Amino acid sequence: MSRQHGATWPFGRLRASGYLGRQRRMGILLILPALVVMFAVLGYPIVSSIVLSLQHVEPGGGKFSGTWVGLANYLNIPSDPAFGTALSNSIYFTAIEVIVVVSLGLAVAMLLNHPLGRSAFFRVILLIPWALAPVANAVIWKWIYNANYGILNYVLHDLGIINQYVVWLGDPRLALNSLLVADIWKSIPFIALLLLAGLQNVPPILYRAARLDGASAWQTFRFVTLPQMRTTILICVVLQSIWALKVFDLIYVLTKGGPADGTVLLNFLSYRETFDFGDFGYGAALADVLFVMMFVLALIYLRVFRPTSGARQAGA
Amino acid sequence: MSASSLAPVAARKASRPAPRSAANRRARRFVSRGVVVAGLVIFTIWTLAPILWAVISSFLPQTALTSTPPDLSPTNLTLDNFQAVLAGDRSLVRGLINSSIIAVSTSAVALTLGSLAAYALARLHVPGSNKILLMILATQMFPGIVVVIPLFIVISRLGLIDTYIALIVVYLSFILPIVVWILKGFFEAVPVELERAAAVDGASVLQTFRLIVLPISLPPLFATGVFAFIESWNEFFFAVILTRINVKTAPIAIAEFSGQYTTLYGQMVAAAVLASIPVIVLAVVFRQYILKGFVEGAVKG
Amino acid sequence: MDPREQENVIRMSRRNFLLRSAGVGAGLMVVGALPAFLAACSSSSSSGGPGASGGGALTTLNVLAPAAPDPAPPGVAKFSDTIVAAFNKWQTDNSAKVVYEAPPWPQLHDKMQTAFASGNPPWDVVYMSGWVPEFASDIVPISDMLPADLKADLPPSSFSTTTWDGKTYGVVFTLSLMTLFYNTEHFAAAGITEPPKTWDDLKTYVKELTKPGQYGWVLNYGAPEGIGGTASYWMIYLQQAGGKMYGPDGMPVFNDTPGVDALQLMVDLQAAGTDPGSISYVGINDATNVFTAGKASMMMNWPFTWMPAQDPTTSKIVGKIGDALLPAGPNGTASIDGTDAWTITTASKNPELAMKLIEFYLDPAVQKSQAIDTGWLPIRLSVLNDPEVQAKATNAQTVLAQSQHPYDSFVTPDYNQVTQALGTEIQKALKGDSTAAQAIKDASDQVTAIVKSRT
Repeated sequence: MSRQHGATWPFGRLRASGYLGRQRRMGILLILPALVVMFAVLGYPIVSSIVLSLQHVEPGGGKFSGTWVGLANYLNIPSDPAFGTALSNSIYFTAIEVIVVVSLGLAVAMLLNHPLGRSAFFRVILLIPWALAPVANAVIWKWIYNANYGILNYVLHDLGIINQYVVWLGDPRLALNSLLVADIWKSIPFIALLLLAGLQNVPPILYRAARLDGASAWQTFRFVTLPQMRTTILICVVLQSIWALKVFDLIYVLTKGGPADGTVLLNFLSYRETFDFGDFGYGAALADVLFVMMFVLALIYLRVFRPTSGARQAGA
Repeated sequence: MSASSLAPVAARKASRPAPRSAANRRARRFVSRGVVVAGLVIFTIWTLAPILWAVISSFLPQTALTSTPPDLSPTNLTLDNFQAVLAGDRSLVRGLINSSIIAVSTSAVALTLGSLAAYALARLHVPGSNKILLMILATQMFPGIVVVIPLFIVISRLGLIDTYIALIVVYLSFILPIVVWILKGFFEAVPVELERAAAVDGASVLQTFRLIVLPISLPPLFATGVFAFIESWNEFFFAVILTRINVKTAPIAIAEFSGQYTTLYGQMVAAAVLASIPVIVLAVVFRQYILKGFVEGAVKG
Repeated sequence: MDPREQENVIRMSRRNFLLRSAGVGAGLMVVGALPAFLAACSSSSSSGGPGASGGGALTTLNVLAPAAPDPAPPGVAKFSDTIVAAFNKWQTDNSAKVVYEAPPWPQLHDKMQTAFASGNPPWDVVYMSGWVPEFASDIVPISDMLPADLKADLPPSSFSTTTWDGKTYGVVFTLSLMTLFYNTEHFAAAGITEPPKTWDDLKTYVKELTKPGQYGWVLNYGAPEGIGGTASYWMIYLQQAGGKMYGPDGMPVFNDTPGVDALQLMVDLQAAGTDPGSISYVGINDATNVFTAGKASMMMNWPFTWMPAQDPTTSKIVGKIGDALLPAGPNGTASIDGTDAWTITTASKNPELAMKLIEFYLDPAVQKSQAIDTGWLPIRLSVLNDPEVQAKATNAQTVLAQSQHPYDSFVTPDYNQVTQALGTEIQKALKGDSTAAQAIKDASDQVTAIVKSRT
């Protein structure tokens, strides 16, 4: 298209005259402020942290630079037992959270899509956990999980489900699962909303056709709903994975990584190395590794679950 | 959607016995209705229980909360916790004001810059737009923890620690990408014919944007604005590091009630409840925009 | 979207939006009016406005301190009116304006780490708790700046936690050693007349005192690191068994009988009757809450807890609390120091004025008010022996007595990392996932690696 204007590289298309050229130039102009803000603010810190990860920073040195050690920080990572723990914790946490949140979110979305669930009341209460600050969420669950006065223990004990008060945050496995429940509780609403929108975009004619064909509810779900929702579900999985890997406020307020490193996730480990131990170089290396992991994960998702050609464009 | 996914259904129908009776159908509908009702009830309890307990706890004094079983008799209800967190030295009010200022500013600027950028990406054939989008997604993935210290260094050298502008700009850097991402999806869904018609009428790009696209896009715009507001209100760790005294935000105020030597549980949850009311109210008031605009835009994006 | 919906959307947009934003706007105005309303009804102590070194000849002194009720100076904590007046007078007399930054205790270290890393911390005076060796290059050695009469009035051993590499960087301002707190009512009910004197006594008593609804012992084992973390508690027992952390070369030497015995005691106490929630209590306040609710008979605690424990609004055991020396191990009794100290930053432009401020905090009258009004014991020996202080802070005697015995906190620049590793191993042993001997050995290996990587 640009050839007919005799365009040449670089910026050939921009220099082109006419409607398209005008549009493109305008486009650059309009996008520039946003890009400038984003990259100006984040550019130096991200580059700085990559540079830092290649240095050995002497903690407590009152400086923010150190001696060059190349990839030594990265090579130390696999042999760090805390990293192994954090990695397995993060994998477990992310996998379970994504599976549970997306499944339950889909169930909630379907409930809300049903005629009985159309009331605004349900949508209102959906919004509450979503709007809550992660710190507020952590504080509320800290109070619920309290070993001696928490309401969870009291209710379960009263119902006869447990005989003795459980120390929810006392056992490494249990503490991690308790954090998981708290984060799942907060995450379901947003995912449910996304899935609800996706559900509402399913052309009703397909449901009618299925009903005419005599499909049962399960068959309708499996052969009509799910395929139509493929893109939406993919988006939910990607988003929820990223958020699960970035969980921080919850750990900071509730367990600070304990007990026995049971609730140390990768993000928190990077925080601990940087802020508690002052090992800026190693902390930066951990953060960069986490970033690469998330990036690769997103790419894998997009490749494996590539939306079908007939579905709406995914945009990535 | 292709017809192939309906084929198994059709095949199954061919092998099915005679159609079910009307009574069976009614029974099935009754059961499925029961399932839905049960599901809705469970969902309501699951979602509301923690909030309700937090609100109830905030009205009870420490001694009532530390009895086993918790002393829930209505005679204990007190406003002491709220008075303590609102008045006094560790005032929550300052946090609420600061958070309001920061959140309003951030969402206003994010909407302005973000909608322009989103429109550019959606309609204006910006070269390299796919790469730009990918970069935008990438900024979301970078763990904020380590970025904090370099940011602190730059901001402190500029003398901007503990100022509104510092937090606003920092929040913009990670809220803008989401805003752009969502609005782009929605702008793409606006019928192109409308814009072409405007162009034919001689409207410039900006005029088209302002007079045609924006008015149609009000729901997603407001919804995204609310989303940006909530995100900047709720942010915690950057606020801890980049503020000192004057610009303490609401989440910081919440965290102030669990110190090393005391945990006054009632005050702790009272602060959490109070600091959450503005965002929850906002979300509920603007829920129709959120549900219609933001969510759909996200899905289409 | 079908056309009807689209129309609805647009209609909804214009009309309802105006209504909703009007509502929200009104709400925001109410929120904005609230502070003025409340300010009229309540008094708030100053937490400072933006510091400016202009306005006459006023010098601004920036201070980083914890928020009350952690040890906080006048202007942050509630000192008596006399002292507040004295504080204001001090500022006027010295043409100074003190601006406080007082975050909650858990955020202190994060802020310090960031600010010191930038090379440009905004403070003149900084509160430290076990971090002096870590930040030694960012703070000023002050032993020469301390007046001789002040030095003489301070317990010499109080400088051990603020001295590193031969230089003293800070001055501890409160005598904060862990001592034994016990419930006299529980003791009487079990027929126990005296607090436990030895490790064996302790184990026996804990077993006897544990019954349904009551535990013999409670403590916070949820946070492995830091002063007041799991590792630091073990260090108390380590000293009581005659052991120590590091040899003269800085390498760990605790993988021996005292080290293992110390951990074994903690493990035995778990079985004898420690509150099982202890492993989840991250802050000591959670453990204190159990004690003051009357659900635990004994615990170790800091002197500060004495006063709130006598407060009927938060405590159910007012008048039923006893305090005593910590039970002695094979090598006698010992404790650890809370190491709450004031330091001066190298970045400060007014170190002499900062030192004067610290001297003010250590002034006998201020120290006395610190004890009587805020519950933090003074560090000055003369004030500790003041009869008024002893009358109000009835635990002062016990703490003084405890200070006659060792109370090393073994702080080093790696303190956080070392206690993190040590504390995690200890937690494993407490949970029964590891034996005491194995945990100490693993901890020793890890600490060796940590120390080696820093030198």
